[in-house]
Amino acid sequence: MHNVVIIGTGPAGLSAALSAAAAGAPVLLLDNNPRLGGQYWRTFTEDTEHEQSQHFDLETGLILINAVKARKEIEVWSGAQIWSASHQQGVNTLRVIYKGVEKIINTKNLVICTGAYDRTLPFPGWDIPGVMTPGGVQSLLKGHGVLAGKKVVVAGSGPFLLPVAAGVIKAGGSVLELLEANKSHRWLLSPLTLLENIAKFKEAFYYIKTISAGKVRARFGQAVVAAHRGDHGELESVDIAVINRNFKVKKIRNVKCDVAAIGWGFTADTSIAGALGCVQVIAKDDGVVVSVDNDQQTSIPGVFAAGEITGIGGSDLSMAEGVIAGLAAAKYVGCDVNVLKVHRKRRAKKQRFADALIKSYPVKAGWKSWLNDQTIICRCEEVDLSDLKHAIEELGATDSRTAKLLTRCGMGLCQGRVCGRSVVDLVASEIKISPTDTDRISAVNRPIISPIPLGVLAAGE
Amino acid sequence: MKNPDAIVIGAGVVGACTALSLVNAGLKVLVIDRGPVASGTTGAGEGNILVSDKEPSAELTLAVRSRDAWFELNTDIGGGFELEPKGGVVVSRSEKGIANLKKLSQLQKSNGIEVVELDAAGLRKIEPLISESVEYAVLYPGDAQCQPMLAAAQIMRAVRKRGGQFIQGENVISINISSGRVIGLKTDKNNYSCPIIINATGTWAGEIANMAGSYLPIMPRRGFILVTSPVPKIVHHKVYDADYVANVASSDADLQSSAVVEGTESGTILIGASRERVGFKSGLDVAVLRQLARQAISLFPILSNMLFLRAYRGFRPYAPDHLPVIGEDANVLGLWHAAGHEGAGIGLSPATGELITALITGNKTFMDPTPFSPKRFKESAHVRI
Repeated sequence: MHNVVIIGTGPAGLSAALSAAAAGAPVLLLDNNPRLGGQYWRTFTEDTEHEQSQHFDLETGLILINAVKARKEIEVWSGAQIWSASHQQGVNTLRVIYKGVEKIINTKNLVICTGAYDRTLPFPGWDIPGVMTPGGVQSLLKGHGVLAGKKVVVAGSGPFLLPVAAGVIKAGGSVLELLEANKSHRWLLSPLTLLENIAKFKEAFYYIKTISAGKVRARFGQAVVAAHRGDHGELESVDIAVINRNFKVKKIRNVKCDVAAIGWGFTADTSIAGALGCVQVIAKDDGVVVSVDNDQQTSIPGVFAAGEITGIGGSDLSMAEGVIAGLAAAKYVGCDVNVLKVHRKRRAKKQRFADALIKSYPVKAGWKSWLNDQTIICRCEEVDLSDLKHAIEELGATDSRTAKLLTRCGMGLCQGRVCGRSVVDLVASEIKISPTDTDRISAVNRPIISPIPLGVLAAGE
Repeated sequence: MKNPDAIVIGAGVVGACTALSLVNAGLKVLVIDRGPVASGTTGAGEGNILVSDKEPSAELTLAVRSRDAWFELNTDIGGGFELEPKGGVVVSRSEKGIANLKKLSQLQKSNGIEVVELDAAGLRKIEPLISESVEYAVLYPGDAQCQPMLAAAQIMRAVRKRGGQFIQGENVISINISSGRVIGLKTDKNNYSCPIIINATGTWAGEIANMAGSYLPIMPRRGFILVTSPVPKIVHHKVYDADYVANVASSDADLQSSAVVEGTESGTILIGASRERVGFKSGLDVAVLRQLARQAISLFPILSNMLFLRAYRGFRPYAPDHLPVIGEDANVLGLWHAAGHEGAGIGLSPATGELITALITGNKTFMDPTPFSPKRFKESAHVRI
């Protein structure tokens, strides 16, 4: 019997596991990746000498990973895929596929640190092989040591574009363009937060140094608005636009490339918390996040959440939240421990930085003007914008759920992870209304958390 | 719309079909739903249009007419809802089951249903991947399928094009009655005067009857359907175990399921159908999903390796005698019910609309509607079941 069950081994999950174990609680740590570290500290071998190049701060990650491995109170299940989660009368049930068989975990205490995935926006040609997310490019580099292509365009918005561009250069690729859709001076909106978190600059300069050495100049107020196929169906070039403050296109140039890594920040992966019934709310960036109290506890007593799923904020905030969640969970199971003021202070400081981030890298409504009727919206089910318009104008859909059921948009293999958020915005904009919170929450939640073979389902009890 | 001739409450497939029938008969029709089109049970169905699962009865007569009416409707409104005459294959693996299936199919045949008996070799010709354990089946070429949400949406589109009006997002809160006769209704936003109201609210039909001071014993029966990731077509018909027929007619509250396996136009495979009387219980019941998966794999072992992607849950509206309720209310004139079709609502909708329309306009009905009359519950009025 495990006292505290923790899902996820990124910065938040590792921090939570260590603080809960240090407080005396036995921990079961679950993760769907083969190795500890999450996406942020993803590695592909144990040979860390070789891997340093892809990370600014692998040292911190290695300290946490090794500490978790050394703690005998922490049992680790790597490669464990949770396909279903439910909550009934105080008990949380996780159904997990681990080493090919299904295991059932019943626990009253849970810390959910499931992180986030890249936010994508549809545009003409985004379904062409070679158009990727920055996270996808980074996963290949960090997890497999593979460079997705030689000539790379990195675009979108947010600080995450920097490490991806730097990673490509370090792996021997060339970054043809590094494009931030927002203006650089948006950071001036939060001057005090900048000074307070000055250490963050060290990280930024670390990447900028690499990028400058690669003779790449970042351009602001520009975005990739279309991609074009070559003779073999692969990516040949992208259209890069100078855009205004609202993301409307001003003028366009064409650039040839092998890979376009395009991302618009992150979407929290709230599906496990949602399946349990934890209350979710809409963050300032319109993303859905799990609501938590001062102790990182969700609306379900004994269920805690930390890291990106409570609001996108980066690894430092995730670690600060993870520590609090781990301590609070240990206290919940009866350990004699308290969350200290210093922990909360640290979290508050990181939270201010996260808020400034959201303010500095907004995704403005003008992106919808990049689309045309033939632009694919749902890549899994090949639904284009005209199909969505037909469902609204002809078939009478007045919300994203009905539009989805009438077009199959978001009903394919990824279950709306890629397009769900965009569909909510597109449908609302066609009908000229604002999306409701329910629209946004239902678009990112799914009762079956990950697909499982019917045979495995049938074999379970 | 000022002074509609009739108001249909509910924009599921039953409400949509009824509205279209009424519009085609020349009436000014207003459809009101608290949500968008097909947001109730219609949106959680497989789209079954079956003649195979009914014993010779009034319901079979309704089903046979409705099946033809679906294809007429498809031509009339220009399709767009994936109507497919795929045919049903009913299998049985026990001696007793096979004997019963033979008997049932012969009875159906003498009632004009096309049935084709299949031996092991014949079955494998049309369903090559079926389990080796199945050696006897009956093919019903008349069984068909559609995408029910698209069907409701396309029919509502035709209703609007032909002069009907659809108001969504208004919740009916009272039925206005004067001297035992309907004079209109009130929603949370508006008042509407109208002498005829058709209650097509499916599982929630009892609430509307209550608002009118009447009574209708319609209850929810929960059902789950599993959906796999899309694959090239490997299941060509709607294939199900003969036990399904027994379950449809059952009054047992416990979980019952027998696999109904079918491939769809979009490549996904649907696996139904469970039936439980648990009220409006939400959430995902994993035990039910497992049982359906086991039964489906026992019919098609290849399914074992396929990915289970999502599930949907619906509340099928049923009456104590498992027959639909089609006709004028027992106590209130001008209030008509078209509800309680249980798991057969998609299949029976067009004929339900035709019956209601003929009764309202005083025209000849294609069959005797008495078995479906709401008046059959009169004696048990105000007895909660």
